[in-house]
Formats: sequence, C-alpha cells, structure tokens
Amino acid sequence: MLIRLENVHTFYDGERNSTLKDITLSIGTGEMVCVMGPNGAGKTTLLETINGILPSTGRVEVFGRDARKHGHDIRKYIGYMLQAKTFPEDTPYLVRDVVLMGRFGKIGILRRPGRDDWNAAREAARFMEVDHLWDRPIGKLSGGQTQRVLLARLLAKRPRILLLDEPYSNLDCRAVEEVSKKICTLHTRNELTTIMVIHDTAHVPEICDRIILLKDGRLIGDAHPDDMLFSRTFRDAFAEA
Amino acid sequence: MMLPPSMVMNTIIGASLAAVVCSMIGVFIVRMNLSSMGFCMSHAAFAGAALGLAISRDPFVLALGMATAVALVLGPVADKARLQADVVLGTMFSLTMALALLFLSIVPGSVVSSTALSVLWGSVLGITTTDLIRLLVLMLALLVVIFLFYKEFFAIMLDRKLAEESGINTKPFYYAILFLCGVTVSVSLKLIGGLLIFALMVNPVSAAYQFSHDMKCIMLISPIIGLASSISGIAASLYFDIPVGSSIAIMSVAIFLVSVSLSPKRRRGQRC
Ligand SMILES: Nc1ncnc2c1ncn2[C@@H]1O[C@H](COP(=O)(O)OP(=O)(O)OP(=O)(O)O)[C@@H](O)[C@H]1O
Ligand SMILES: [Mg+2]
Repeated sequence: MLIRLENVHTFYDGERNSTLKDITLSIGTGEMVCVMGPNGAGKTTLLETINGILPSTGRVEVFGRDARKHGHDIRKYIGYMLQAKTFPEDTPYLVRDVVLMGRFGKIGILRRPGRDDWNAAREAARFMEVDHLWDRPIGKLSGGQTQRVLLARLLAKRPRILLLDEPYSNLDCRAVEEVSKKICTLHTRNELTTIMVIHDTAHVPEICDRIILLKDGRLIGDAHPDDMLFSRTFRDAFAEA
Repeated sequence: MMLPPSMVMNTIIGASLAAVVCSMIGVFIVRMNLSSMGFCMSHAAFAGAALGLAISRDPFVLALGMATAVALVLGPVADKARLQADVVLGTMFSLTMALALLFLSIVPGSVVSSTALSVLWGSVLGITTTDLIRLLVLMLALLVVIFLFYKEFFAIMLDRKLAEESGINTKPFYYAILFLCGVTVSVSLKLIGGLLIFALMVNPVSAAYQFSHDMKCIMLISPIIGLASSISGIAASLYFDIPVGSSIAIMSVAIFLVSVSLSPKRRRGQRC
C-alpha cells in the first residue's frame, strides 16, 4: 500500500479533541480517490495529515515511511494543492518562479535549479495552459488562472502522489472540464495516486475508484462512486443532524 | 564642516557599507513584515550596553551579545506562540526596554546613561577602522549566506507553507532570517543608530518595489538604492552642513518619493 493510515487521530494545537477521529485507510498505487463531506468534516485535515504537516497519533505511512518523521522527504514526491490559495495583488513574484519553486525541495539544499528544472516547470505550465502567463506577477492573475498555476507548480515537481484540495473551486464550467481531463490524463499516464477533495458530485471523474466520505472527523463511508453517490449514508451525511 | 579627510573617508565607507547591508536585509524585513526589528534590536543593544556599564564590562560587546541573544530566540518563540514574528518583536521590545532601565538604575549617573544612549543613536562621525572591518565581514557573510541558500530564502519569502509543501524544511531558514536581521541591526547600530537603520532598511526596499514585480530584481536594486541614499546623503550633509544621519535618512525618503512618482507600476497601458 502506498498510503496507509491506522487508527489516526489528528490534533490541532490547543484543541481538546482530535479533529480526525480514528481513521483507518489504505490507498494503493494508481488509485483515484475522491474525498467528500460537509464543510468542517476534516477533508483538508486528512490531506495535511497524509502530507505529514499536522501532528497526529497512530500510523501514517506514505511510501512505507512515517509521514511525520520524513515529511520533508516524502513531500518531494507529493504534489499538494492548498485549498483556495490566492496571492495579494502586490506579491513581487513572477509566475515562472512560482512554478519553478515547486521543484525547490527536490533540487535539494545548496544546489541551483538547472536546465532540467526549468524544462520541467515550463512543460508543466504548458500542460496547464498557463505558459502565456509565464512572465506575469502572480498577484495579478484571476482566481482560476492562479489555480492553474498552482497545479502547474506541483506538476513541475513530477510527483507520484497528488493531493488536491478542491482543485475546481475557482474554475468556470468549461475550465472544470478541461482541468479535470488534464488531471485524469496525468493520473493515468504517469501512474499517479490521486486524492482529491471535491464538493460537487458532478465533478467526480469517471476514472474515480473510490469515494471516501468524512463527517465530523470520522470516516463514515468508503465505496465505489456508483455505490456511494446513491447511498443512504451519502444522503444522510449532508442532511441536517 | 571641517573634518580631517581620513575621517570623511571612514564616514563615507562606513555609511555606504551600512546602507548596503541594511537594504539587503531590508528586503526580508519588508517582505516578511518585520519592521519592529529595528527598534527592538536597538533597545536590546541598549539594554546590553546598560548592563555592561552596570557590571563594568565593555558596553559594546555586551550590546552586541544581548542583541544576538534576542535575535536567536526570536524565531523559536514566534513559532511556539503561533504569532507573527513582528508581534514577538514588540514583546521583546518591552522586555529589553525594561531591562535597560533596570540596569541603568543600578549605576545611576548621567554619564552612564548617556554612554548607553549613544548606542541607540550611533555616531557616523566616530567610525573607526575596526568598525569598517566588522561591517565588511557582516556584508560578506550576508552575501555568502544569501547566495548559498538563495532558493530557500526566495521560497520562504513568498509563502512559508508553500515552501514546506515543496519539501523545504523551512524552520532553520526562517530562524536564520530572523537571526541575520537581528545581527545586522546590532552591528550597524553603533555606527548609524536606530533611526538611520530603520530608514535604510525600509526606504530603499520600498523604492525598489516601485520598479519591479520580481523579487530577484528587488533584491538586486535595493542595495543599490541604499548605496545611492547614503552617498547622496553624505554629499548633501557636507554641502549644506547638516548632520550626516538626518541627511541620509532624508535622502532615502526623497528617493522613495521620486520612485513612487516615476514608478511604471502606476502607469496605464504599460507592461512591467
Ligand atoms: N488550525 C486549526 N485549529 C483548530 N481547528 C481547526 C483548524 N483548522 C481546522 N480546524 C477544525 O477542524 C475541522 C476540520 O477542518 P477542515 O479544514 O479539515 O474541514 P474541511 O472538511 O476541509 O472543510 P471545508 O469543506 O470547509 O474545506 C473543523 O471543525 C475546523 O474548525
Ligand atoms: Mg477544506
């Protein structure tokens, strides 16, 4: 198993109770998993736990290594897209540098980005169709453009796992389709493992293997989309308590 | 003003080096909202000097030591407290201020307090060769550190969380930035004083922001503008016979205002 969580509780500083409660979950190489659940269910928390950013108890293994101890190493192979990340208008960074920065961890300390790194960045930008924005300041893009640039940034890393937190939130309906197609292409072509938080059932890709349902920090459902989307559990999860 | 030429030379070199060093570090200060660094560190040095006088040790060594100590704990405290470093700087400021008053009260006397206060104001005209060497070493050290870890600093200045995401261990670099800022202030302090440090850290960088959206350019332009402020400030001071410190500070503000009016960023139909 590429990602394995066992009895995981994730705590935020200063909170009495754990936010994620006793999550046990395995995700194999090449799987495409969608995470769904109401606001505040713990979806972002789950992604950040896998990414080794948040302190947790229990077992969190990615690539067979403890995600909390080897966080910086495993993150060189995980592309994590933060939820609704934007930049203030006067941010003095250019798109090309933001995309290239995705590779900085991988390049390693005391080394400079070389031709390969720039090529990977450029290729990722072209793939996400933002290469015409290459020399623009990052703060001057639209929400959707920023989102594509951030996707390009994590693709530049050539990751093996994608953790995408609501990658469609700022996209118009045509862009959703385009970007969704790109994510699926990439997922299949590069044999990636993809975990994607989405809200709209219409955004569940056809190649999605599993939907994981979270509510109040608990995992309450884990099934193939065909079974999940029409299930009672799914309906109840979004109903008033 | 009639000064021996060697002193004028020392002043010019010292102020120029200090300007370059401060505006190099100023890029971090401005981008990471650390503007309290200036007065916090100057008061840490002030407290150190006061302590030195109280226990009759070299006030300048202790000033440097105290400021360095504060600079060292800054990052860890900010992280632990989950506060912006600038807020922690404010807290440290009240502590160092209180300590300074406490130490001064141990050995009362106007001579003592004025010696301690001289740490706060600095004296561009009293720059010695040792001071110049110290500044030069600091500048070279900064250049080397920034050159070696440019990539990491560059990413952290954009966004610490994004830098973590890419696989960089941001903690040591973040602490290093805070530490370098603190050391720069404390080394420059004796020469140019807290007021001028503040001017030279913030104004050249703010001016550089007017000309570029690219952090790389800003990092290159800022020290150049800092240098220009200091040289033109010294020239004005000699010409109009006004104090050097004020003159440099005024020049740096003037350059900032001119940059704002020249800035291509605020013109329509122009790509920049
Ligand atoms: N930094 C934090 N400190 C304490 N509690 C937090 C923190 N961040 C999130 N929480 C809490 O943890 C729970 C889960 O949050 P999380 O962000 O994972 O939800 P989510 O499922 O991603 O929601 P959304 O759909 O709104 O993005 C929420 O109740 C939230 O209030
Ligand atoms: Mg979320």
